[in-house]
Amino acid sequence: MISPEKKKQISEFIDSLDKQEQIWTNGFLEGVLNGTASPVSPVPKVSGENKKITIAYGTESGNSKKIANLFASRAKQEGIHAKLVSLDQYRLTDLPKEEYFLTVISTQGEGEPPSSAKKFYDHIHQNGFKLPKLKYGVLALGDTSYPMFCKAGEDVDHQLGNLGGERIVEIQRCDVDFENEAHSWMNNVIQKISGIQPAAQPLAKPVKKSSGKKIYQGEILTNINLNDRGSSKKTHHIEIACEEVYYKPGDSLGIVPHNPIAAVEAIIAFTGIDAERTFVHRNETCTAYELLHKKLNIVYLPERVVAKYAAHVGLEIQSVKTGLLDLVKRYPVKDAAHFEIFLQQLEPTTPRLYSISSSLETVDGEVHLTVARDAFSIEEELKYGLCSDHLCSLQAGAKIDFYIHHNDQFRLPDDDKDVIMIGPGTGIAPFRAFLSERESAGARGRNWLFYGDQHFTSDFLYQTELQQWMDNGVLHELDVAFSRDQSGKIYVQDKIRQRAADFFQWLENGATLYVCGAKKMSEDVEKTILELVKKSGLQEDAETYLNELKTSGRYLKDVY
Amino acid sequence: MSESNLSAIEKVKQSSDSLRGTIREGLANEVTGAISEDDKALVKFHGMYLQDDRDRREERAEKKLERLYSFMIRLRLPGGLLSADQWLATQHIAGEHSTGIIKITTRQTIQLHGLYKSHIKPTIQAFNESKLHSIATCGDINRNVICAAHPQQSPIHKQIHDFAFKINELLLPKTKAYYEIWLDEEKLVDKKDEEDPLYQDRYLPRKFKIALAIPPNNDVDVFGNDLGLIAIIENNQLKGYNIAIGGGLSSTHGNPATYPRLATVIGFVSGEEKILKTIYEIVTIQRDYGNRSDRSLARLKYTVDKMGIEWFKTEIARRTGSVLEKEKPFQFTDRKDYYGWFRNADKLWYYTPFIENGRVRDDEKVALKTALYEIAETRKLNFRFTANQNVILADIREEDKNSIQKILNKYHIEEYTDSISSLRKNSMACVALNTCPLAFAEAQRYLPSLISKIEPLLRKNGLQEEDIILRMTGCPNGCARSYIAEIGFVGTALGKYNLQLGGDHTGMRLNKVYKESLEEPAILQELDQLFARFASERMERETFGDFALRKQLV
Repeated sequence: MISPEKKKQISEFIDSLDKQEQIWTNGFLEGVLNGTASPVSPVPKVSGENKKITIAYGTESGNSKKIANLFASRAKQEGIHAKLVSLDQYRLTDLPKEEYFLTVISTQGEGEPPSSAKKFYDHIHQNGFKLPKLKYGVLALGDTSYPMFCKAGEDVDHQLGNLGGERIVEIQRCDVDFENEAHSWMNNVIQKISGIQPAAQPLAKPVKKSSGKKIYQGEILTNINLNDRGSSKKTHHIEIACEEVYYKPGDSLGIVPHNPIAAVEAIIAFTGIDAERTFVHRNETCTAYELLHKKLNIVYLPERVVAKYAAHVGLEIQSVKTGLLDLVKRYPVKDAAHFEIFLQQLEPTTPRLYSISSSLETVDGEVHLTVARDAFSIEEELKYGLCSDHLCSLQAGAKIDFYIHHNDQFRLPDDDKDVIMIGPGTGIAPFRAFLSERESAGARGRNWLFYGDQHFTSDFLYQTELQQWMDNGVLHELDVAFSRDQSGKIYVQDKIRQRAADFFQWLENGATLYVCGAKKMSEDVEKTILELVKKSGLQEDAETYLNELKTSGRYLKDVY
Repeated sequence: MSESNLSAIEKVKQSSDSLRGTIREGLANEVTGAISEDDKALVKFHGMYLQDDRDRREERAEKKLERLYSFMIRLRLPGGLLSADQWLATQHIAGEHSTGIIKITTRQTIQLHGLYKSHIKPTIQAFNESKLHSIATCGDINRNVICAAHPQQSPIHKQIHDFAFKINELLLPKTKAYYEIWLDEEKLVDKKDEEDPLYQDRYLPRKFKIALAIPPNNDVDVFGNDLGLIAIIENNQLKGYNIAIGGGLSSTHGNPATYPRLATVIGFVSGEEKILKTIYEIVTIQRDYGNRSDRSLARLKYTVDKMGIEWFKTEIARRTGSVLEKEKPFQFTDRKDYYGWFRNADKLWYYTPFIENGRVRDDEKVALKTALYEIAETRKLNFRFTANQNVILADIREEDKNSIQKILNKYHIEEYTDSISSLRKNSMACVALNTCPLAFAEAQRYLPSLISKIEPLLRKNGLQEEDIILRMTGCPNGCARSYIAEIGFVGTALGKYNLQLGGDHTGMRLNKVYKESLEEPAILQELDQLFARFASERMERETFGDFALRKQLV
């Protein structure tokens, strides 16, 4: 009836279970024999047929899309007719006609929606129309280490309500470890729509305690400023060693920057707070010192925090970008206890993301970054970005904590496909990773890079590596634009324009187009590409052409 | 000579489509500031060297940046003459496209350093607007023809100077590549228009240098040239020229087959047409018999020594159809520039300021560059460069002298020139580090400070007024003619120099190695001892070079 081998396996498995688990397993097997993989007594199945739902996702790194996909297939299993659409492809005029409208949306940086959801987000915030028929639910993805956790999802949830929609399930906010919450939200939605208790899915594994993102500790191997003397820029190439690190080209590295010790100590001295006094911060017990040094944003406070402080001390404070030390100096708190209360209103430090510029295929156990030391001035005083300044100052041997931020929306195509990469300035980072990967894979597809910066002699990041890739045939085309080497400015889009015919030919040939770098640049590049597609005379509707590239995953952006 | 024996550069020249190569494509390549290996050899014929800042190599490599490439461009100025307008234009061009420093060379011309690739075309076009060009100022071809600089040297200076122009014209290449590549002139339809009976498609085996000297001043160092012409003047009439062949000062460390050599006087020739014919055929003999397999043995001096003087004279006679006359007597007594004000036979005025190592710039001591610009703006003079890296403010009429003098006063140029020691005025250094690819050691960046340390040693021995010719080169190629100095320094490694002694005062005798690879403390110690001996043991009016020889120091 059963092989001795299998019997042995079953015995071993049963022995490994405690009593409760054995009972559960017994029920589960019964369920299997009854045709439902559920240990609970089967509920008569109510058909979800004839119900139509739209699942719309707004994604930056691909997580929302992944969940939305899963959700759509779950819904289909239940007989629900589910339409899956990315928010940047969604026809806004369809919104009033929707019956069930489920949104899966992530939140970026300071609480904004992902760029692909921007149009939708703006549209629903325009008011002036009503959605009385709409039944909706929102699954919000986010990261609790950011101050505006799930803000974009909350806004959508709130605004669809304002427009007259009926909320069928409460908004579900998910942290980076989103699987369990996402599944329970899906179950809720399906139950609301079809009235059935969905069968437990093998995916809903026995509850695993959320471990959050994996934090790695790395060691700085090299840290060099790539810009030469005389440059107005400082762009650091940083190599970090970490045996166990895993990432793919296209991923980013996340860092929670520490605040300068001098500022932390000055704040403690000014307010008289006990540095050792402990607080519970996000389920973790930390001393005041730790909070100020590693957990809370005290360096450049957003206006809303300044306003909170003003209210706390009962003073009027002009809302300029300022730091906590300035505030406590200029507008002192009453005493340490008074400050302790405010301490708990501070926001967590936002992690900074940097595109990874290496491939594990060529540098096993290492992550490389290309970090621009961010310089700006506040009230005519030159300041440096907290994190970039910190990173750029790290010496070889220094330790650094980081996590990997996966981005499935920015991946290389198959080896035989061509790629066009447009990455001026630090935008070159992921493309260095791409080229390394393609080189080590011996990919047959051709590679074309557009790079630009201010000056040829001082700002040509990774010049010798790119020359090497030209020489060994990994890089087939390399067009460079240096904006300030001549009287008229020349940018990457000008180079694209010069090479319009070839560029269009590559696209027609199936090339995937990548853009990385400043948002403004990406807009100029997009305009130029639309122009050249139009001028090609072969594509009537350039917008549609580009949209099709997007839909088929052949036009990918990583912009900031 | 069999094809396979030809050096790589010979093949590059021959297959270059009259020096075009792939220079155009190289200019269009925006990924590198350099050009291809072959084109590097070819741009020399267009007057440029590809160089890089050697001080910055390591640091740039770490930054993943290629070497900091730039080009040096050298003008063709036979006899070293430039109008005031051309000087102004050159200063503008230098400011806009190069380091801003104008370098007066040891061959009476000027060169600019630090031009990035994208600046070459605009530079050449701007020069062209001022009727200046850089054709064949580097490369295996006749270089800038130099000529005794100071018009007060002879009432017939102009006649001899004009002859330098004629030689220059005679030996220019016929290719139109320069005009096509740099000045965007239309491509030649008929290639016959650039057929070159002199240079053919292979040019010369190596560089070829010509100088004209007017005794008794050998300011051009006529014997350091492949071909030297010594003017024979009687009663202010030019009789003709003594011809000297086979001079050349380069050698290679560790290669005993190479050596510096002074030109040998082989005869006299008169009559302009015949002189030109003789010059032309000396060049064709070198073209046909020069070594094309080993570039270190390719200069005319090796051809002369290989074939023999008598053979050479016979071959000249065979090619020109006339035998050289016996050389005429001549005497050199000096080898110097005339600092200060002088007047020539035509009553025109000349002022020579001191320019250290030929670098025209403003520094903490003197605002030379600004002063020269302001002087040029009067447009009441010409600029004449000397073979000792100086400029002569030239051809100033009596009535204009005062306006020039005012500017000299304003910038304390006379004061500055007068304050310079004899030693410094008689010194010269080549470019060397950081741009010259051949340099082993510093030269023009280092010599000024070394001289400041030698000056007290001379004062100590009462020798501060003595004219001692001191020259430094960063390698054994001898651009600053250190082998015919009384004190010669030849760089062997960073901070190390061979100390050469025994050269004479007029450039007719080579010096020899006295001590090898000395560092600064040892150099100063040696010189201190030598000066002390010289002061106490010299004979009356004996020069330092002659003293060193008499005492058998070398």
